[in-house]
Amino acid sequence: MKKRKLLSFALILGITCSTLFSACGTTSQSSANESTEAAATEEASEETAETTSDGTKKFVFGDTTFNAENEESNVDPHEAYCGWACIRYGVGETLFKFNDSMELEPWVAESYENIDELTWKITLKDNVTFSNGKSVDAEAVKACFEDLVAVHERAAGDLAIDSIEADGLELTIKTTTPKPALINSLCDPYGCIIDVTEGNADGIVVGTGPFVATELVTSDHLNLVKNENYWNGTVNVDEVTVLCITDGDTLALALQSGDIDAAYGMAYASYPLFENDDYAFTSIATSRAFYLQMNYNSSVIADDTVRKAIAMGIDKESFVGTLLDGYGYVGTGAFPDTFSFGGENVTTESYDPEGAKQLLEEAGWVDTDGDGIREKDGEPLKITWVSYPSRQELPLLAESAQATLKEIGFDVELNVTSDHGTIVSESEGWDVYAAAFVTCGVGDPMYFFTTHCLSDSTKNRGNYHNDDLEALATEMNSTFDAEGRSDLAIKMQQEILDDNAFVFCSFLKMSMITKSNVTGLTAHACDYYELTADLDIN
Amino acid sequence: MTGRKSKKIRLCIYGALAVLLILIAVFSDRLCPYNPYEQNLAIAYNPPSLEHIMGTDAYGRDMFSRIISGARVSIISTLVLVVIISVVGTLAGTICGYFGGLFDTVVMRISDVFLAFPGLVFALAIAAILGGGVSNAVIALAFVSWPKYSRLARGRALAVKEMTYVKAAKLSGDTPLQVIVRHILPNTIGTMLVTAMLDIGTMMMELAGLSFLGLGAKPPIAEWGSMMSSGRSMLQTYPWVVLSPGLAIFISVAVFNLLGDTLRDYLDPKQN
Repeated sequence: MKKRKLLSFALILGITCSTLFSACGTTSQSSANESTEAAATEEASEETAETTSDGTKKFVFGDTTFNAENEESNVDPHEAYCGWACIRYGVGETLFKFNDSMELEPWVAESYENIDELTWKITLKDNVTFSNGKSVDAEAVKACFEDLVAVHERAAGDLAIDSIEADGLELTIKTTTPKPALINSLCDPYGCIIDVTEGNADGIVVGTGPFVATELVTSDHLNLVKNENYWNGTVNVDEVTVLCITDGDTLALALQSGDIDAAYGMAYASYPLFENDDYAFTSIATSRAFYLQMNYNSSVIADDTVRKAIAMGIDKESFVGTLLDGYGYVGTGAFPDTFSFGGENVTTESYDPEGAKQLLEEAGWVDTDGDGIREKDGEPLKITWVSYPSRQELPLLAESAQATLKEIGFDVELNVTSDHGTIVSESEGWDVYAAAFVTCGVGDPMYFFTTHCLSDSTKNRGNYHNDDLEALATEMNSTFDAEGRSDLAIKMQQEILDDNAFVFCSFLKMSMITKSNVTGLTAHACDYYELTADLDIN
Repeated sequence: MTGRKSKKIRLCIYGALAVLLILIAVFSDRLCPYNPYEQNLAIAYNPPSLEHIMGTDAYGRDMFSRIISGARVSIISTLVLVVIISVVGTLAGTICGYFGGLFDTVVMRISDVFLAFPGLVFALAIAAILGGGVSNAVIALAFVSWPKYSRLARGRALAVKEMTYVKAAKLSGDTPLQVIVRHILPNTIGTMLVTAMLDIGTMMMELAGLSFLGLGAKPPIAEWGSMMSSGRSMLQTYPWVVLSPGLAIFISVAVFNLLGDTLRDYLDPKQN
């Protein structure tokens, strides 16, 4: 008995000391990094390239976003946001693709021509084939788009297709209303050209891309094999597995242990582990914005002063600089400054807690009971902040805003949950929704406004309405020249910023981390293209 | 030194340590060197130094202050939880054992239901239904943990009520309440006390576990389990963020477990 007690006491002492020492040991940052580097090297040397003895090349990709929670439950572009998975993993391709300046380049199609406000003529390439060997002609594309607009509400709204005519390789699309950005919209991931005659058994479709989906388990994994009939070059890698790893730590450990060859969505806190010669980063500025959407149905938020104070209470600089470890860009308007209509063209509130306090004070929001939370007419300045964890920036933003807003006198209740969609689909029960959205995914500024800001927008969750904005939107819809659209985009952004209906906190600097023997995996500004024929393992 | 004496010394040492922990929890507000909730992103992820002996977390909050402040949430909630379940469980068990009958059958069947599920899994479900928050986590754990005490107390009551002196007390006109308070409870209390002491560690772990899974304390509340959860991605890069709360849980659980163990040895008549 006595011996056992002694033993247990010694054990406690031992563990306590070792824990303390290990914690103290890391006071020198460099020594900690060296040791992890050493560990990583060891692991990398154990793991040889994924070329098996029979010469097939296998590539395993870990992704945090490919799951049902993100409305990406399969690779059928005609469902929700599944087109993203379709295009990212090289199953489907769109008519045109974006370069890093978000300008259109030919892909499945060769060229297009704007006949009149409502008519567009698209000429397809003559050598494109589906992975089942069938060649892609205008008839197949027509069938694909007709199915798309029949089942996909967002696409139907964006495209407003009236009729499609197919003649050999020439496709003529007529729209019901002028759609100046029609070609851009067709390059949204939902515009992936698929062979609709093949159906979508288990969410798997037949596209034109370098890889063919063979097996899919939603939110678990996707198996792909090389497209032997690929029309645009030779595919280097024979087999690909995309693993859906929602947990950032699991992803980091999987990459370290060599279970995966590349990772998308790594937690910023884990970046230092891979900043060495065994791994490579590919990063690019994107228009994925981390933004706040205000709920006008809430009586507190409907108060102009409150929204302005919230906008003044977000410390964007520190959020990007510290919490995102510099992997991001501070946001002003809806678009980053890589766009002609983005960045400094618009103005908004800057971080000013003192100013916000004064503003609230003047508007009658005063802390009468001394608990640090302001009240007005007996109603406390309490807001419910809804967000979700699958974008790792969002919980960080939530907790940092909770503290900075607390200082101003807000009581912020956080609800960071995977179930965010259900909560914000209700008009009550939330005040601020923090989310991530690619605001300029198709290279045209109207995309964000049509999806989020207008009275009939599907994602206008907070019931926001501004007459001037609606008028500008109508004008935008009939403006075809790029410069005019750019000017209108600036005016429209300024409207929503003046209303503080949206607060744009930051833009994502998208990074993928690969093992150093992987080549051909490159980050793109639009965040659409990941696995291509160029992907290789050396 | 006799065995009894050395047990007494150990009991004093562990008791003192436990009291120290409770004092830290009670006076945590005054003991924190910094405001545990004040963010200062300029000093985020600072390693342990003289200024911040446990370093700072992602938001630049002082870890040491957060650990101390977390003691209040973790230790006090655990003690409240253990008091609730031991009192409720003991009373329910004693009454069942003494009176028997329909009440006994109903209560024991209910406790069978609770005992049929793995405790933490059931608590998870209840906490998820109630929503997050420390108090809801305490309620969830209380729901699943009381049957153990009621079973024990019922067994004791059944045994004791057949004793001759209890029968004598009944014959001399004691009311059932008097019998329970004067004769049954005093014979149960030792066992219950030891069980409760040993349970503190377990409950602390389970409470931290619920918080770790996001069903206990909500941010920004400093609670050891949720601190470990939010710091777990930094285990390789900024280990102090996750090791400090881990250490705090480890020390507290160890102290209360050792105290419970020693108390059991001390009260065990066979060993004396």
